[in-house]
Amino acid sequence: MASFIINGESVNVDTHPNTPLLWVVREHLKLTGTKFGCGVGQCGACTVHIDGAATYSCLTPVSAVEGREITTIEGLSGDGSHPLQRSWIAEQVPQCGYCQSGQIMRAADLLANNPQPNREEIIAHMSTNICRCGTYSRIIKAIERAAEEA
Amino acid sequence: MRQDNLSPVVRTTRREFVRGMGVTFAVGATGIIGACSMEPSGENAPAPAGGRNAEITPNAWVSISADDVITIQFGGTEMGQGTMTSLPLVLAEELDADWDRVQVETVTGHDPVYGNPAFGYYGFPILYTAGSQTLRGYFNAMRQAGAQARRFLLDAAAVEWGVPVVELETEPSRVMHPASGRSMSYGQIAAIAEVPETLAEVDESEYKSADEYRYLGKDVARIDVPAKSDGTAKFGIDAQVPGMVYASILRTPVEGEEPLDVNDTAARAVDGVTDIVSLPYGVAVVGDTVEATIWGKNALEVTWSETSRFRNVEQTRDLNEYEARARDLNFSTDNPLWQDVGDIDAAFAAADQIIDAGYRTDPAYHAQMEPMNATASVSEDGKSAEIWVSTQTQSLTVMGAADALDTTIDRITVHPMYIGGSFGRRAEFRQKYVDDALFVSREIGKPVKVIWSREDDVKDGCFRPLAAQYLRAALDAEGHVVALQHRVATPNVLRYMNEPRWKVTRGPRRTSGLSMGGAGTTRYDIPNIRAEHLNMDRCSRVAAWRGVAESYTRFALESFIDEVAHMQGADPLAYRIALTRNDPSGRAVLEEVGRMAEWSRAREGSALGVALSEFGRGSVAAGIAEVSVDERTGAIQVHKYWMVIDAGFIVAPRNTEAQMEGNIIFGLSNALKERITISGGSVDQSNFYDYQVMRMNEVPEIQVKALSNNKPPGGVGELGLATTGAAVANAVFAATGARVRELPLLPDRVLAALRA
Repeated sequence: MASFIINGESVNVDTHPNTPLLWVVREHLKLTGTKFGCGVGQCGACTVHIDGAATYSCLTPVSAVEGREITTIEGLSGDGSHPLQRSWIAEQVPQCGYCQSGQIMRAADLLANNPQPNREEIIAHMSTNICRCGTYSRIIKAIERAAEEA
Repeated sequence: MRQDNLSPVVRTTRREFVRGMGVTFAVGATGIIGACSMEPSGENAPAPAGGRNAEITPNAWVSISADDVITIQFGGTEMGQGTMTSLPLVLAEELDADWDRVQVETVTGHDPVYGNPAFGYYGFPILYTAGSQTLRGYFNAMRQAGAQARRFLLDAAAVEWGVPVVELETEPSRVMHPASGRSMSYGQIAAIAEVPETLAEVDESEYKSADEYRYLGKDVARIDVPAKSDGTAKFGIDAQVPGMVYASILRTPVEGEEPLDVNDTAARAVDGVTDIVSLPYGVAVVGDTVEATIWGKNALEVTWSETSRFRNVEQTRDLNEYEARARDLNFSTDNPLWQDVGDIDAAFAAADQIIDAGYRTDPAYHAQMEPMNATASVSEDGKSAEIWVSTQTQSLTVMGAADALDTTIDRITVHPMYIGGSFGRRAEFRQKYVDDALFVSREIGKPVKVIWSREDDVKDGCFRPLAAQYLRAALDAEGHVVALQHRVATPNVLRYMNEPRWKVTRGPRRTSGLSMGGAGTTRYDIPNIRAEHLNMDRCSRVAAWRGVAESYTRFALESFIDEVAHMQGADPLAYRIALTRNDPSGRAVLEEVGRMAEWSRAREGSALGVALSEFGRGSVAAGIAEVSVDERTGAIQVHKYWMVIDAGFIVAPRNTEAQMEGNIIFGLSNALKERITISGGSVDQSNFYDYQVMRMNEVPEIQVKALSNNKPPGGVGELGLATTGAAVANAVFAATGARVRELPLLPDRVLAALRA
């Protein structure tokens, strides 16, 4: 049994302590906005916040989040109104969209710690996350827009 | 209904078009779809007081409700290319619909009414989203459907008001009679109109002209973007079906083998593992949770057969063999001719000079972000199935599933989900991930979700095939190219992807664009051309890969043209511009990209290379790369990339630019570092750590431009990718004098060329 807070709600999940948080979030709790991409911390599609910090949920056993606070894309704003989500729409970032939850969660971690990042800081922070469609330039623009409008 | 940002609602339901009844039925809105968090269809609204209809369906593509909601069917699938927005937008434009009140439904299952006219080779059009043919293929059908529905509404309003129809005009979703000041919304007309059994075709001359467009050519927001920004977009892997269990599959390490002996004691001991199912090509571990099936799979001990011919595959040796065949002018296979213009034999016999070169390309992996997966529920008799899957083709998924279950297509229901990248990966006739879910569900009698690991996805990948090419040119005494021969030794991709289609389409040429697209040239003014396919045994599973054959044929051809230009002492861009003397489009994109890159400006420490490519029937692209080379390590750095396309009328400018950027990044990623290698029949790579793709910190500065005009729209989803390999290789030559003839342009290959 694992107990933690996710998107503001306390949950108890009956599962093996070694279960990756990714599968707990996606398949036990049905919060499917968090994506499975590689399973080895290489692509960032599974990025969630643990106590506010962007983390690969595929590499995090559920036992490691006991009592901690997790935020997924579904809980980032609740209604799509986070400045990054608005700027993602304004800049028309997504193509296939599969990596974008992870991109947004990664970017939200950046802005929380560095509200006015420059281009180099954005690139350094975001290069953990792969987008095979090649939306990188729009991700940068959307982060810059969100920082400007915040 | 959203009113804020031109974003119609997206729904997925099945609509069965019933001619003559003026109604539609939603027949697939089962509890299972509801469990996928798909919005149930809303067509049971009561007819308004005094009206006869709650909703009318003038033709298969569009319905209009009494409360002014317009529902448009989308026959493609959405994988990031944007046609889920652009196709309905074309219909809405001709209908003169209020886009804010439009909702889009993706067609489920196979129904030729919704097939792409560009894919009619079975004798009827199929729903197949590939080859950059969606907007191009459906453009006229969408215009006709919209114009026809608009004409019907105008006629109905004319009857209602007793006025000549020529006195009427439309504003978005409203018919106006300026002479009397009266107007009715489309919904008000829908409530009272009677739809005849068939509507007359509207003559093309009545379509809107481009200067009348409200939406096309403007930057209308994509309808899928909001759901892809808040996590609510449902991809195949997100399917949740009541009573569903999971399966992970240990697949054969080498294609063509089978499990001989399975020790599943440890796997069965994993908490949550419920069943072990033996398959012809592997062993499935079934369980209540994903993690149990993964752990169970890892605990399996399987003895595999060792009889497959693929165990003999050694990539370098096989590529050497391909190249020897390509260079041996006496060698041919039974499907040689892709292009045959003039008389190359006479031209080569009379040549003043002959130039030749060979080029090699390694296999490439799609690396789409969503690993293969499928969810299926097979009936107790094993002959009916409902499938949730990311697919490029409703039709082939239905046909392939019927083939797998030895049943008929009417017993297969497919729910196409958003696709987490595809690039050609999900377009086969028999989709192995669908087979997995069908076979396991049939065996255990429950709905099953199968998720491949990334390692499964790489090891069982279907790759852009290995290819070796040999090109030679005959020059006359003045140095003009009078003949071009382009020999491509590579497997038959279509035959592997879709044997039934191969059988009906192979025709007299006995080859296909999936292996040979881009070989030879229709752009350059060369009087004698022959492009030949030397059909080689495949060394791996193969598939179309974004940009398809052009990504290797144009690497070779455009590198070769550069070599010819260099031997003539000509500027590579000016040489190409001269060769496109009879092709205004090709010439225009070359000239414009040269202007953007300031081609003639001298660079310090870097150099430019140019290449021309085409894709999507009539669409053409020119790209220029600026690179520098570290001559100590052989590492190439691409600093800038410029690309100009002519893809006819540009329906969605902002999305087109995004597609162009995506093509450049995808192509450069491959050109610089992506390489699959196969040893003893097994793929050597596993995951993104040993098959690396381009990240944000590696992307060069990119500038793109689409030359819009009033020619019919062509495809943009793959256009220009094929410029990248040759443009970079040509820039490397310009920078260093080293000619790299093998893709990807790895540092050790650059070093070897520098030393040559």
